[in-house]
Amino acid sequence: MQRRIAGLYVLIISIIMGSTAMSESIFPYKYEKETLPNGLTVIMIPMESPGLVAYYSVVRTGSRDEVEAGKSGFAHFFEHMMFRGTKKYPGPVYDSIVTSIGAKANAYTTDDYTAYHLNFAKEDLEKVIEIESDRFQNLHYEKPAFQTEAGAVYGEYRKSITSPFSLLNEKVQDLAYDVHTYKHTTIGFEADIKAMPEQYDYSRSFFNRFYRPENVVLVIAGDINPKATLNLISKYYSEWQRGYQMPSIVPEPPQKGERTAEVTYPGKTLPIIDIAYKGDALDPDNKNFVAAILLGDLAFGESSDLYKKLMIQEQKVQNLGSGIPVNRDMPLFEIFSMVKKMEDVNYVRDEIYKTLEAYKTTPVDEKKLNALKKRNKYSFLMDLDTPDKVAGGLARFVALTGGIEIVEKFYTALNNVNPDDIMAAAKKYFVPESRTVVVLKGAQ
Amino acid sequence: MNYLRILILSMTMIAPTLTFGDENVPDNLILLPVKNDPTVSLRLWFKVGSQDDPAGKEGLANITASMLTDAATQQNSYEQVLDKLYPLASNYNASSSTEMTVIYGRTHKDNLSDFYPLLTEAILSPAFKQEDLDRIKSQVLNYLENQLRYASDEELGKAILYNNVFAGTPYGHIGAGLIESVKNITLDDVKNFYKSHYTRDNVAIGLGGGYDGALVDQIKKDLQKLPAGIVKQVPKPKAKPIKGKKVTIVEKDAASTAISMGFPINIVRGSKEWYALAIANSWLGQHRNQSSHLYLVIREERGLNYGDYSYIENFPNAGARTVPPQNVSRRQQILEIWIRPVPNEARHFALRAALREFKKLVDNGMTADDFKLTSAFLRNFVLHYAPTTMERLGYAIDDKFYAIKGSHLENFRKAMSEVTLKDVNAAIKKYWQYNNMQIAIITKDAQSFKDALVNDAPSPITYKTTKPQHVLDEDKEISVFPLKIKAGDVTIVPVADLFLK
Repeated sequence: MQRRIAGLYVLIISIIMGSTAMSESIFPYKYEKETLPNGLTVIMIPMESPGLVAYYSVVRTGSRDEVEAGKSGFAHFFEHMMFRGTKKYPGPVYDSIVTSIGAKANAYTTDDYTAYHLNFAKEDLEKVIEIESDRFQNLHYEKPAFQTEAGAVYGEYRKSITSPFSLLNEKVQDLAYDVHTYKHTTIGFEADIKAMPEQYDYSRSFFNRFYRPENVVLVIAGDINPKATLNLISKYYSEWQRGYQMPSIVPEPPQKGERTAEVTYPGKTLPIIDIAYKGDALDPDNKNFVAAILLGDLAFGESSDLYKKLMIQEQKVQNLGSGIPVNRDMPLFEIFSMVKKMEDVNYVRDEIYKTLEAYKTTPVDEKKLNALKKRNKYSFLMDLDTPDKVAGGLARFVALTGGIEIVEKFYTALNNVNPDDIMAAAKKYFVPESRTVVVLKGAQ
Repeated sequence: MNYLRILILSMTMIAPTLTFGDENVPDNLILLPVKNDPTVSLRLWFKVGSQDDPAGKEGLANITASMLTDAATQQNSYEQVLDKLYPLASNYNASSSTEMTVIYGRTHKDNLSDFYPLLTEAILSPAFKQEDLDRIKSQVLNYLENQLRYASDEELGKAILYNNVFAGTPYGHIGAGLIESVKNITLDDVKNFYKSHYTRDNVAIGLGGGYDGALVDQIKKDLQKLPAGIVKQVPKPKAKPIKGKKVTIVEKDAASTAISMGFPINIVRGSKEWYALAIANSWLGQHRNQSSHLYLVIREERGLNYGDYSYIENFPNAGARTVPPQNVSRRQQILEIWIRPVPNEARHFALRAALREFKKLVDNGMTADDFKLTSAFLRNFVLHYAPTTMERLGYAIDDKFYAIKGSHLENFRKAMSEVTLKDVNAAIKKYWQYNNMQIAIITKDAQSFKDALVNDAPSPITYKTTKPQHVLDEDKEISVFPLKIKAGDVTIVPVADLFLK
């Protein structure tokens, strides 16, 4: 049994959530950042690693960019299509190259971005650059392959939806947002997934609008020589034409009034409560946002008073946690708990509210704040031990900002948070008017 | 000679000198020093697991391990433990599997002097409080009663498969145990189990990363405080021979069907034959990889699900990881085929497709081209199995479990140049067959599926999309592929009846 409770959602807050007491730079590796004339940015991070390289292609497009009605889940679906090959290297040939070099290759899609990643031996760097540059420029697939892949995507939805957390997540996002595309989950609405086989033409336009050099950043970490790597990148990516069309994403207007709902899970589960507040996008200059990140951990983390009370002393809940994510637009700041008895759900909810109210009026103990800052520093340092973790850990920041300069800035800001900032953040975000509360119950 | 260079590189740079095998190092010490690693990794292996659970107390090994790592010690309340670990960004955890329990933790060198006493206190002086037991039992029961039965059909399918293959043996229940048994576990059970299994004669110490010699001496000295006591090893399970295809259908209102199937194989890692079989298995169903042949047939060509894989070693929590776990070693393994959820209307077809591919491989063996590609793939891919010190330490402990000379991962890569196609096809013939196996299916309308199965009713498939002619031709064969399942070999179980006692 892991002590750490699993987060409610796949929150890719990643490793860059910490703070440091050090005045020097927190990121322990030197890196080089270059931009080709066509707008493609490449970040190279040489680090001691046993002949291994991690290669991330970060497309700054995710489910957030699915603005058209009926197209939810398309960024993720498109991630699947990227493995269907080109005329030069059709899907099976691409696969056999990846297989023959023994690379560990995969991809994932989030709300704000899509990442394609390979880990391989450094000798294979040029081959990888060649096949990756090829599929990003020349992706080619016929309609039948497209339709077949839609079946695999539906299969992915089916394997996940049996979890009560998936259902709850769908409901919370749908209820909390009126117009912004965060209204749907990354995998999308089931009806849209079902209709995907009909969207072949749309898929081509998706590729043409978003898979463009000025919308992609390469992060290459490990046993590399930056100069030689950059030469190879220029050789293979320079012909890639600009053409990114930024989607027009309607901002979510401020929420006026609390929203509540119940959702019934078809199987058996303990009840789960999710309390979501409208937050702010990533901005290291926004003191409230930076302080909120620490507040979530202080108020609801393993060392918090409420965790000890509800989990250990009263034993009324199976877990308690919070998610204060790093996003491009206004995300949800959430607190969630799986409660052992239905009749205790309101009690747990009220305890969470009481805790948030207390943070508005009582400054947090400096010792606790410093313990969290120390925790974040070591958590960051300990997680940078492989090229894959370094490149993967930076991916979200790269996607949101186009670079990794923000890491230092964000760290400094986190380290400067004081108890007054925490109080101000509690007052700003955790108010009933911007709250969405969903309780999930089992049917059986 | 690309691969040779990688091999040499990896041996000199990835794998630090293993002191295991050195006659000056006692058998229960596994050291993996990594000079520039700013962290220290600890793994303490107790030779105990769910196979040691007493009858009627299934789940006791798992709960006892949690009572060490997720509970109070005599020095600190559980709340104090959490407070002290918090600024260190370090945890210690227990992983308890069928034959092994490992208590592990990793910390930055700066924090070692704060972290180490907390970890050792957890093992040497647990408080064993009733309130901690109540909390941990409640978590395990929630897992058994709710999560496993309802939240992930694919994990459920795997659990049923393992329980059925090993029914009646000490392997015959999952680590979390059974609902009634967990309810019956008392504080005295935990105390007695701890006393008899957590002895200084039953532990191996694994240390990796940037530690110094003083830590080795310290931990050796500290673990001497555990009581003496030789723990008698439970005999290797003798699974009941399977005759025919034994099908268990779990009846559940499910929108899709999860399938797991398999049978015991009498081989474990280390021998040349095992590495040969690993090549065949990789080709058939490399976990979470597009090179898997089952994946190619069922997902890539037909779009029926998210993935299809096979295993020759236990691979728990497969949905959440991309490479094999460490420290889940066991003396008896099974061949396992995992079909991720397919639409209910395609369940019969998908089962047939998987078994037909498996039969073709067993009958015909691998081709020279597939063999060449797959052995080249594995030679490099194995490098990704243990990128961190903690993972390499886990492998070093597993090497001890299997009494492997040198390192399994290095041997694995070497074997990819030594094993021949003939070796692979001989290993397939020796260890695999397709007539006798357990099949676990989670689906709805179990009775109608049972009828279709025992009648070997045709299961034609239609697509909304255009398919290449070779796929359509093959579909005709798949849809009537005989499974030869007897009515008496199919059992239907309501989901609510699972894991009760």
